[in-house]
Amino acid sequence: MIIEALLAFTLASSMLVFGVPDRYAGKLATGLSAVPLLGSLWMWSEFSSDGNALLADDTVAFGNTVDWFRFTFDTYEWTLQWNVGVDGVSLPLLVLATVLTTLALVSSWTPIDGRQSQFYGLMLLMETALIGVFTTLDFLLWFVFWEAVLIPMYFLIAIWGGPRRKYAAIKFLLYTNLASLVMFVGMFALIFGLGDAISTLGFAEIAQALRGGELSGFAGMEPDTLRLFAFVLLFLGFAVKVPVVPFHTWLPDAHVQAPTPVSVMLAGVLLKMGTYALLRFNFTMLPDVARANAELIAAIGVFSVIYGALLALAQRDLKRIVAYSSISSMGYVILGLVAFSPHGMGGATFQMVSHGLISGLMFMAVGVIYNATHTRMVGDMSGLADRMPYAVGILLVGAFGYMGLPLMSGFAAEVLIFIGAFESTVIGGAPLFTAAAMFGIVIVAGYLLWAMQRTLFGEFAVETDYEIGRAPLHDIAPMFVLIALIIALGVQPDIIYETIQNAVNPLNDPLALVVDLGGELR
Amino acid sequence: MVDVFNVVEAIALVPLVSFLLVLALGNRMPKKGALSGIAATGFSLAISLLVVLDLATGGEVYHEELFTFVAGDGAGVELSFGLLVDPLAALMLTIVSLISFLVHIFSLGYMNDEGEIGLRRYYASLSLFTFSMLAFVYSDNLLMAFMFFELVGLCSFLLIGFWFREAGPPSAAKKAFLVTRFGDYFFLVGVVAVFATFGTTAFAGDHSFIVEATHVLEPDATGEMNTFLGLGEQAWITVVGLLVLGGVMGKSAQFPLHTWLPDAMEGPTPVSALIHAATMVAAGVYLVMRMYGFYALSPTALGVIALVGGFTAFFAATMALVKQELKQVLAYSTVSQYGYMMLALGGGGYVGAVFHLTTHAIFKALLFLGAGAVIIAMHHNENMWDMGGLKSRMPVTYWTFLFGSLALAGIFPFAGFWSKDEVLFETLQHALSGEPLLLVGYAFGLLAVVMTAFYTFRMVYLTFHGEPRTDTAASPEPIGWSMKFPLVVLGALSVVGGVLNMGVLKDFIGSENLFLKKWLEGKTISGELGPLSAEEYHHILESDFAAGYEVTELSPLGPGALALVLGLVGLGAAVALYRAPEPTPHMTKLGRIRTLLMNNYYLDEFQVWLATGVTAPLARAANKFDQSGIDGVVNGAGSVSMFTGERFRRIQTGIVTNYAALLSLGLVLLLLVFGFLGGWF
Repeated sequence: MIIEALLAFTLASSMLVFGVPDRYAGKLATGLSAVPLLGSLWMWSEFSSDGNALLADDTVAFGNTVDWFRFTFDTYEWTLQWNVGVDGVSLPLLVLATVLTTLALVSSWTPIDGRQSQFYGLMLLMETALIGVFTTLDFLLWFVFWEAVLIPMYFLIAIWGGPRRKYAAIKFLLYTNLASLVMFVGMFALIFGLGDAISTLGFAEIAQALRGGELSGFAGMEPDTLRLFAFVLLFLGFAVKVPVVPFHTWLPDAHVQAPTPVSVMLAGVLLKMGTYALLRFNFTMLPDVARANAELIAAIGVFSVIYGALLALAQRDLKRIVAYSSISSMGYVILGLVAFSPHGMGGATFQMVSHGLISGLMFMAVGVIYNATHTRMVGDMSGLADRMPYAVGILLVGAFGYMGLPLMSGFAAEVLIFIGAFESTVIGGAPLFTAAAMFGIVIVAGYLLWAMQRTLFGEFAVETDYEIGRAPLHDIAPMFVLIALIIALGVQPDIIYETIQNAVNPLNDPLALVVDLGGELR
Repeated sequence: MVDVFNVVEAIALVPLVSFLLVLALGNRMPKKGALSGIAATGFSLAISLLVVLDLATGGEVYHEELFTFVAGDGAGVELSFGLLVDPLAALMLTIVSLISFLVHIFSLGYMNDEGEIGLRRYYASLSLFTFSMLAFVYSDNLLMAFMFFELVGLCSFLLIGFWFREAGPPSAAKKAFLVTRFGDYFFLVGVVAVFATFGTTAFAGDHSFIVEATHVLEPDATGEMNTFLGLGEQAWITVVGLLVLGGVMGKSAQFPLHTWLPDAMEGPTPVSALIHAATMVAAGVYLVMRMYGFYALSPTALGVIALVGGFTAFFAATMALVKQELKQVLAYSTVSQYGYMMLALGGGGYVGAVFHLTTHAIFKALLFLGAGAVIIAMHHNENMWDMGGLKSRMPVTYWTFLFGSLALAGIFPFAGFWSKDEVLFETLQHALSGEPLLLVGYAFGLLAVVMTAFYTFRMVYLTFHGEPRTDTAASPEPIGWSMKFPLVVLGALSVVGGVLNMGVLKDFIGSENLFLKKWLEGKTISGELGPLSAEEYHHILESDFAAGYEVTELSPLGPGALALVLGLVGLGAAVALYRAPEPTPHMTKLGRIRTLLMNNYYLDEFQVWLATGVTAPLARAANKFDQSGIDGVVNGAGSVSMFTGERFRRIQTGIVTNYAALLSLGLVLLLLVFGFLGGWF
């Protein structure tokens, strides 16, 4: 019942915050968000399950299933269930979401100076939806939360954003909503195709039925065609969220317009919804299609890495640089997932958490600099290290984290993905794909060092009238928490990596695909 | 007596503690953290010496797993940290902690007494560097080595860019990190490849990747490895070795990745002495030594190493001939000397390479610290043409600098003579048995001997001899004991360091008195830890399944005399040209060759062009394509929807009956669609 309690509490907190006067909203929301944070940490400390929640029935922790209502279609009858629970894949992401929400709320205190109660209420509303996304295990239920994330996000960008906030918010909403629709069609094609092979829309039941080869045709499509069709629709739907090139253009606009704490949530948690869903749907439910097209998917991942890095290289806006580099980092996740090898899948999931922390740190650091200088343009400022030593020091730490400096979580994530991808037996020519993707570590160093040299070092000069001083403690403190987490995970990845591996390793076993699915498994 | 190996990990961890202390409290600490650094490195030095003593008096090679980084859960490979302290590592630990200790003391005079600001940052970075470097040295596997290799690069970045308020240092720091990162890219691909090939990256142990690779290639192949991309086993081993070599060439500043090192001279001079001469730059070469058993399996990889090394030794020396700034001469000299070590390693001269690494660390640190003293005396003017006549005004600096220079020039009986000779002799021995690549490398090495002696003594004469050419040189600022003490220690070591391994005289003193050779051969443990000693390496080198080198027996006296004569020729030429009280700038007579050399063959420009002339336009093109191409389609789709939306708005009449009609129509349509699909009709 802990999950229901957290959902209910966070939702109630959100409503409460909407009602309080603006000047109390920030502190109150932060205080209230400590409850889901501590709750998820408690879940973490109590968690002891092994295995993947979708592949075996006794692997769900904190699970709760209640029949809700039945609905029928044709001769089929399905039960919609309230079905929640976590496993080693979703729990780390749940903790990531609650940690980042609380830190983002603290980092909002300085930049958000209008309509605070609405802002903090929406942030908590979004947290509620995020908790739902990472804990629900029934498709329709999950879809409700998945869509519910978009609504607060839309308003957060559209109201508190920069000059082009309307454009960015609408683009974000339409793009991701359209993607959800495509994904929804793909998923229902599968559900109809399964027909009475399933009695609920639970993830586990769908996954096991699909892996068991119980899919019959639908709408004139043979099972094999249907699998491919559904895989493509699901992939397209999630690719927008990740984002995968070429479905990424909403991301820089949204980031540049969004206020700092919203960017933190967007890059830190919302992008992970995409990779999480890819893992849960495409790579768990339809692994045979993923394996058969592994080279294509790996190429998409590699292309995202290099292309995203090149785009970052061409930017002048610090925030755009960080935004584009997220595309690059998410490309590694795709490569790791499709490797279907222990460190590939595990490293990809670890990268989701690690990138959440590091990108959150970077956006916060850039935000603190923006609060002081009111510009983010490389070339409009230089020598900031002279006036803002702590903020600049933190930005340096974040940048080196992004570059994959050892003993920080980014390195562990990337090296695990590289090892996993290199030794993948699923991707043909895996070493070449891996080596190509790895060149990203050179480009990322190039653009981050270039930007830092121009902005942080040299003689102090800023093209604004604002007085540049040290940032207040509540701006700096959340970043220290992130740095501590990044270094802790970098020195000892097994804090979460062991749990992750327990949950993803079953996915790598081709023997777990029970029946002959036509076509050879590699 | 307490077993020293119980505390051996503290060699690196104590500087880490110092780093954290200085970072947290530096501004409130005495001397802004300098004393903490001195205490920490002094401790490391003491323990390192105890380790050496223990190994020398019969102690065993120490190998221990420290902690598990990623357990791998039985399915994937395990990543772990461990300690490997064998004679090589013990020697290197001693060198690093000694130089670091002396550089900390020197910094008291160079930084504190000069009233620099940001000392907390300085000493924190120095401690972090010492920690990373020492941990790198005792790494027991390739992944751990890579991790600390990168951290060392971070410290180098921070320290080169120490004076970040000026334009030059941040730019040089960026370049240093980027160029070495480019090399490290190949290194990391190599690390990953080793994991995928052998399932482990351990340097030592009965299933280390070195042992496995040897067993695979041996005639009665018992080892196991995966190969990739359809390559054979020997070929794949070569590929992996060359990939790792990328990192080596970056860090040890080998052609064509040497360009960052001269720029790195923007950092404070004690940093140049510690990081960019004696220790960090040695990391690359040390890595080749650490996995020498692996490289010895591949004649192609060895050939490449020798050729790169020999060419770098020669190539860098040509540029050192014309430089006007004291530290620039030393920087190119450093590149050149590391070339010698690579030459020796490629040429099968493991002992020679280790020997030269040791002596070079000492005399090059000495020369840089001496240069630092001169720079302080000259109020940060580094141009040698503004100096002159400093000999009588700063005698301690002069004499120690002179000893360092004689060692660098390879003049008997200074330390460099013995080690450079060992490098050349061992290469020649293997080259003469039909290895043309090695012979080419050897020839480059010999040419470089003349130039080394020449540019070294050009530097000595311009700086210290003749008449002072500026007012500053006439009345230089005096330097304190904290700067003189390290100079004297290193100066003494530069004189006597050769005693370690007087290879040229082995027919007279007997090979049992070649201490370094004995030291490196001493711990032969067949089986348990795999090949770690010079003897085993030579055995592998001479095996037909591996490099297949043969040794041509010849007396070391002849080649030794040849190298010495060449050195004296160079020295004599420099003295003859620059002895005058008012020396003329002879190098300007070289005309366009000088311009080429002064501009470093335009290699820097070429690399900058690769970044700004190739990559940046590519990025801009991608960006343009992204914004007008991809995003254009997205926005275009948006406009089309807006347009159709505009039209469809007309059906929003606001009349409820219209809506009801539309709703019913939609329902009927849906039912029809599902009906057809579901097969109701």
